[in-house]
Amino acid sequence: MKKLFATFLCVLLLLSVVLAVSACDDKGVTTDELVVYNSADYIYDTELTDFKEYYRAVTGKNIKITYVTYDTNETMLTKIEKGDSVVDVVCPSEYAIQKLLEGGHLVKLNYFDEDLYTDGFNFAGYEHFSGQIDTNIIDMVEDAFSNLQIKDEQGNLTEDKITDYFVPYMYGTLGILYNKQEFKRLGIYDKDVMNKANWGILFNDDGSGNILSEGLTGNILMKDSIRDSYAITLFYLKESGKLDGLTSPDGKTYTDMPVSELINVADSQVLDICREVLTEQKKQLFGYEVDFGKDDLLMGNAIVDLAWSGDAMYAVDESWDEYLCPKCVSQTGEKQGTDIICSECGAECGDYELSYYVPHSAGNIWFDGWVIPDTYDPSHLTAIKLFINFLNNPEVAIQNILEIGYSAAVSPEAIRQVIEDDDELKGELSEAYLVNSDYWEKVDEDGKQIEKFKFNSWQEFEEFFFDYRNEMDNSNWRYPFLIDVNGNGVYDRALNTLGVMRDFGENNKAVVTMWNKARSTGVNALPLLGYTVLAVAVVVGIIVLCEYLKYLKRTVVKIPKSETDGSASPKD
Amino acid sequence: MRKVKFRFSRKAFAYPYMIFLLLFVVVPLVIVLINAFLGDDGKLTFDNFIEFFSDASGGLTVLGNSLIIGLVTTLICLVIGYPVAYFLAKYHASSKIFVLLFILPMWVNFLIRTLSTKAIFMALDIKLGMGTIMFGMVYNYLPYMILPLHTTLVSIDHSYIEAAEDLGADRFTVLWKTVLPLSLSGIVSGVTMTFIPAISTFAISEILSSSKIFLFGDSINMYFSKATNSLGVGSVMSFVMLIIVIIANVLMSLTEKKEEVKSAL
Repeated sequence: MKKLFATFLCVLLLLSVVLAVSACDDKGVTTDELVVYNSADYIYDTELTDFKEYYRAVTGKNIKITYVTYDTNETMLTKIEKGDSVVDVVCPSEYAIQKLLEGGHLVKLNYFDEDLYTDGFNFAGYEHFSGQIDTNIIDMVEDAFSNLQIKDEQGNLTEDKITDYFVPYMYGTLGILYNKQEFKRLGIYDKDVMNKANWGILFNDDGSGNILSEGLTGNILMKDSIRDSYAITLFYLKESGKLDGLTSPDGKTYTDMPVSELINVADSQVLDICREVLTEQKKQLFGYEVDFGKDDLLMGNAIVDLAWSGDAMYAVDESWDEYLCPKCVSQTGEKQGTDIICSECGAECGDYELSYYVPHSAGNIWFDGWVIPDTYDPSHLTAIKLFINFLNNPEVAIQNILEIGYSAAVSPEAIRQVIEDDDELKGELSEAYLVNSDYWEKVDEDGKQIEKFKFNSWQEFEEFFFDYRNEMDNSNWRYPFLIDVNGNGVYDRALNTLGVMRDFGENNKAVVTMWNKARSTGVNALPLLGYTVLAVAVVVGIIVLCEYLKYLKRTVVKIPKSETDGSASPKD
Repeated sequence: MRKVKFRFSRKAFAYPYMIFLLLFVVVPLVIVLINAFLGDDGKLTFDNFIEFFSDASGGLTVLGNSLIIGLVTTLICLVIGYPVAYFLAKYHASSKIFVLLFILPMWVNFLIRTLSTKAIFMALDIKLGMGTIMFGMVYNYLPYMILPLHTTLVSIDHSYIEAAEDLGADRFTVLWKTVLPLSLSGIVSGVTMTFIPAISTFAISEILSSSKIFLFGDSINMYFSKATNSLGVGSVMSFVMLIIVIIANVLMSLTEKKEEVKSAL
C-alpha cells in the first residue's frame, strides 16, 4: 500500500512540474502582472484588451491579467479575510468596504490627491481622472461614513476618510418596478396617488392606512434580500407613522432622523415593529424573489416588485410593446404603412409595459468601489493604480454603463462632454447600443439587410444615458441626483432623501433573526394536517363500514359459520 | 536482479472513493458541527442552540411546518402509490410500459419539472400557496414511493396469495393479511425515500409558492447564502435536520427488523 501511495505522489509531483514549466513559458521579461477580483458580469470586457493596450502605450510594458469573479460580497470577504492568495484589486459594495476597512484589510489609495496617487510613477501619457467623478457621490459617501474610525497598522486612530481608501465605480438606487398599464387599469397611475403612497405601494397601503387597490393584493413581489427589504420597511414605518413618538436607545426621535441615519437603525424595538409589518405584508404578496422578479413582471404574474435601478431599466427596456396604445391601455394597435396606429382612438401606438419609481420620501442609494486589499503584491502597485484610473476614463465608463446597465460614478457632465466632442465616438456608441437592442439594421422579409442603422437615431441613445425620466416623480433613474438636463426641467429629488446603508455590525445577527422570524410566521401547516387526518378518517370509516355491512350480510346468510368469519373482520 | 513485489489487492479500488467520502462527507459534517458551537466572534458558545430552540428566529415554527408537510406528502404518496404499485404488479405482463410512464418524469431534471409546473399553474390562474406546494411535492416524490413498492410487490411469491384464497379468504382479506404484511419492507423504504427529502426540500417551496411559504430547507439556505455572519444558527439547523434523518432511519430499520423476525417465525 505504501508503494502505491508513493507512486501516486510521484505522478502528482511530475504533473505539477510539467504544469509549472508550461506556466513559465511566457517570454515576458517586461511583463507586469495584475490580479483583478470583481463581481461577475461587472465590467464590459473581461479580457481587458483595451486596458492591456493602454498599459502598453503608457508604460511600454506588457501586462498579464488574472481576472477572477465572485457571486456575493460574502464570498469575497471570506477570501480577502483569509488572505492566502494574491489579490491586487477588488470591487466590493459599500458595506463590504466598511467591513474590510474596519478589519484593517485595505491599503490607502489617495485617489483624490493626484500627487500622492501618482507618487512612484511618472508616465508622459498618464491622465488623472479623479476630477471626472461625480462630486455628489463623493460627498454622499463621506457623509455616510463620517463616523467611521479608521486605525492604522499600529492601532492608532487616524484622520483618514473612507474616500482615501476607495474609488467609486458603479452606483444605483432601490425602487419600485411596476406594471404601468396595470396601474392605469386599476386607476392608481396618478402622480398624487403614487406620491402619497410612496413605499406603501409595496405594502398595498395608500399612505393613510387604507388599501391602495384591491387589484394589488396577491400581486406584489418583495426581494428575498435582507438588507434591501429591511431598508424599505424602515422607510415605510416612518411614512405610515408607526415610528411616531418612539425614541432610539440613545434618545433620538426616529421621525426627526435624516434618511441617512434612519436607514442604519437596527435596535430591537424597531426590529420588532418591522417584523410585525413584514408578517402582515405577506397577505398582500405574490411572493419573494431574487432572480425571477423581472420575468414575473414581464409575464404578468405580478404587478409590483422591489428592484434595483439597473435591473429595472433593463426590464423597462425589455417591456416595450409597439402595439400597445398609450391612451386606450390595451393592445389595439394596427399596422398602417410603416406606423402602428391604434384602431380605437387613432393615436400612434407604442408604450412601455413597465416603469420604475423611486419614492420621494426616502430612498436607498448603494455603490461599489475599487479598493486595494492587503493581499496585494507591492510590485503590482503601479499596474493597480493605472487600472483603477483607467476605469474612470469617461469613455471606459460609457462602455461599462452600456454593458452593465447601472450608472458609473463618472459624472454625467463628463460623459456628455466626451460624447459631444467626439462625433466618431457618438456614431460608434450609438451603433453599439443599437446592436445590443436588435434595432440596428432593417431587414426585408427574406432577412436581407435593407438599411443599416445610421447616425440619425442618436436621440434614442441619448435618452438611454441622460433622459430616463419618469413623469410620475420627475426623477432621473440613471442619475438620481439633482441635475438639469437639456432644459427639460429640474429633477426635484434632493440628495438628503437618499441614504447609504452601512454594515449593521453587531446588529447583523438581530436583523437576520428578525427576517427569518418574519418569513416563518404567518404560515401554518396545521390545517393541512387536520384536513389530511380528516380525509384518512373518512376513508377508513367508509372501509370499516363496508366491511361491517358485508359481515352483517354474511352473519345473516351463513349462521353456522359466523364465529370464524367474525375473527377475520378488519378490526384486528 | 530481484523482482519488486507489488501487491495490488482488490481493496485498493475502494480507496479513491473512501478518500472522496472522507473529504466531501465526513469533513463537511465535522465543520457543520464545529460551526454550530461558534459565535460571531469565533468563540465557543451555546447561543446558536439557544436561539434556535427558544424559537427567537422562528426556527421551531418552520421545523414544525416542514415536518407536517413532509408527513402529509408521505401519506398522500403512500395512498396514491400503493394501489398504483399493486395494480402494476398484478398485471405484470402488460405493465412494463406503465412502469416506464411512472418513471419517465424522473428523467427530466427536477428543477425544470417544478418550473414547468409553476408555469402551468400560472397559465391556469391558480393561486400559488400551500395547495400548489403539496401538488409539487407529491408529483416529485411519488416515483420514489412507487418504485420500492413495485419491486417488493412483484417479488411476492404468488403461491402465498393462492394459498390464502384456497383457505377461503376474500379479496380484501388477502390484501390485508397477506399482501400488505409481505410488502411492509417496500412501504418502509418508500416512506423513508419520500419523507426524508420532503422535509428538507427548499426548491419546491421556493418555486411553487414564490418563496411565500418558508420551510426548513429555505431557512437553512437563507442562513448560509443570504445572510452575513450567521453560519452558526444555520449549522444548528442542519445538525437538527441530520438528527431527524438519523431518527427516521433508525425507526425504519427497527420496523424492518421486527418484520424479519416475524417472517422467520
